[in-house]
Amino acid sequence: MATVTFKGAQRWYAGADSPAVVGLDLEIGDGEFMVLVGPSGCGKSTTLRMLAGLEPVDAGSVFIGDRDVSLVPPKDRDIAMVFQNYALYPHMTVEDNMGFALRMAGMKRPERRRRVAEAARMLGLTDYLDRKPRALSGGQRQRVAMGRAIVRDPAVFCMDEPLSNLDAKMRVQTRADIAALQAELGTTTVYVTHDQVEAMTMGHRVAVMNEGALQQVDVPLGLYDRPANLFVAGFIGSPRMNLLPATVRDGRATLGGVEVPVPAAADGGGRAAVVLGVRPESFRLVPGDDAAALSLEVALVEELGADSFVHGHVRIGDERQLLIVRSGDRGSVRPGEVVRVRPDPARTHVFDAQTGARLD
Amino acid sequence: MRARTHGATVGGVMRGGWVSYTLVGLVTLVSVFPLYYTIVMASHTNAEMASGTPPVLPTLSIVDNVKKALDLAPLNQGLINSLIVSGAITVGTVTLCTLAGFAFAKLRFRGSAVLLAICVATMMVPLQMGVIPLYMMMARLGLAGHLQAVILPSLCTAFGVFFMRQYIAGAVPDELIEAAYMDGAGPFRVLVSIVVPAARPAMAVLAMLTFLTAWNDFFWPIIVLSTQNPTVQVSFQSLATGYAPQQSIIMAGTLYGTVPVLVVFALLGRQIVGGIMQGAVKG
Ligand SMILES: Nc1ncnc2c1ncn2[C@@H]1O[C@H](COP(=O)(O)OP(=O)(O)OP(=O)(O)O)[C@@H](O)[C@H]1O
Ligand SMILES: [Mg+2]
Repeated sequence: MATVTFKGAQRWYAGADSPAVVGLDLEIGDGEFMVLVGPSGCGKSTTLRMLAGLEPVDAGSVFIGDRDVSLVPPKDRDIAMVFQNYALYPHMTVEDNMGFALRMAGMKRPERRRRVAEAARMLGLTDYLDRKPRALSGGQRQRVAMGRAIVRDPAVFCMDEPLSNLDAKMRVQTRADIAALQAELGTTTVYVTHDQVEAMTMGHRVAVMNEGALQQVDVPLGLYDRPANLFVAGFIGSPRMNLLPATVRDGRATLGGVEVPVPAAADGGGRAAVVLGVRPESFRLVPGDDAAALSLEVALVEELGADSFVHGHVRIGDERQLLIVRSGDRGSVRPGEVVRVRPDPARTHVFDAQTGARLD
Repeated sequence: MRARTHGATVGGVMRGGWVSYTLVGLVTLVSVFPLYYTIVMASHTNAEMASGTPPVLPTLSIVDNVKKALDLAPLNQGLINSLIVSGAITVGTVTLCTLAGFAFAKLRFRGSAVLLAICVATMMVPLQMGVIPLYMMMARLGLAGHLQAVILPSLCTAFGVFFMRQYIAGAVPDELIEAAYMDGAGPFRVLVSIVVPAARPAMAVLAMLTFLTAWNDFFWPIIVLSTQNPTVQVSFQSLATGYAPQQSIIMAGTLYGTVPVLVVFALLGRQIVGGIMQGAVKG
């Protein structure tokens, strides 16, 4: 077991006009489950592959424990990796697949069999040890890939979107299984996904990346409650946070006629324009005579059973803005209606319109 | 492709219809005929062959003719030499081309694209252009007349390297190799444990092609070898001596020298068909 530290780690692919990962600084604690999340192409896989030793580190360094592994070949890093397509050796049985790393390490056959059998038991693969991968279902293959990683008892697990080839139901189940397994083994884990639900439900902490740069690292609810910038605000949460342009003066932001008090940091430095972020559940439907509210023309109501989300438009200045609001009562709002909604000032986020940084 | 083929699918395996069978049968007949007629010719004299109705069935006199051929030419010596030469060339080519193909397909190193291009470009140089310098080289090495002189220049072919590179690039996903690296394997271990099992069908095809080419090669061996120490193709030469060579003896000798190739094909054929089937299932 070990910590993992990225110190200004950078990867610049030959021929690309900007680095795929830009000076990444990230510390991952011993036994921590760290999720890297971000949109496609943001450099998550590249980051993971730098840690695994599959990509060179062009600048900066990567540490496992207090050992600089930037120049250490993958096999000497004591890392196990689970690939998106599992990468099982097609001509080997499940047992040989899981035992391959142990064989490479020179472990004797009886000990190898014991370790593989134990891992297989944990993963419910005991009955499949003699099969070849092509005779397994997607979920079983996924578990073999996990098994191949855990038999080694490595210092760090790397997982690159290990669930993306499973169907939705299997994914939810396996998500929980992996989290439980990791908790049981207590092995430091770096998990890459583009799915923010996976990130929020599995990670002890989540690192959000965009365009090769780290945006924010925090516990899941920390990201949700205090997004550090507009990107994180828009990325974390589903439906996404409403981001609305507003003007600010004398400690108050004006949003289409509605005044919202803002933190002192937001008002000053000659700033006149900010972006207010309000999550769908931070709006309240208010009676029609409430003056401090926005008029929402309802276009669509999504009934999800427990919640319903009202999609519509509000007029802010001269522009029509799309707005999504959660409504507690089912059936209370219909498309075509105009309802009045008011943001909860205590749960309104303020961002600099220019830099996108959080202000408070 | 499947939808157009005449036939039925049984348990996922395509069964040909009568149209396919007839076509395959005809093609087989046409391909087998020369071989069959070699047998016929090997058992009839020039005069019998030239008579009004050519014979269609072989006779037992073929055995005598083979014996005569063996007296006339060092066929056995040729066969042994050819087996040594073709075997060595095949083992060398398959080994070296698999190694090089793996390196070009899956290892990252400086100049790999340029090296591959140079390698492929050598395919465009006609063999005849290299004969004189090659002969001089062999003579200087003291190898002229020895089997090594036939083996050495053919130990590795550009075609083989390119062929193995293409196959390995397609048949072995990068993740598989990366997974093996993560599991603690070095490049050589990856080659042996991961790449070779996946590339076996291509290696079998390359082995067969190489063996046939080496076996049938005449041009270079006849230049560099003597009739005292010939390959089988070179030894055939001694059959066709005299003013009016007996065709039956030539054919009997040829037949005698061809059988080993058929055996090799029969042995490797299963592997090759296996490889083709595997590709079909994956695609
Ligand atoms: N081998 C490569 N050569 C050149 N550019 C690459 C290579 N691999 C990735 N890139 C580029 O680097 C950037 C980051 O890629 P990376 O694979 O890390 O993204 P990702 O966050 O994992 O995305 P995804 O969610 O789609 O897997 C992308 O712009 C990609 O085009
Ligand atoms: Mg990726």
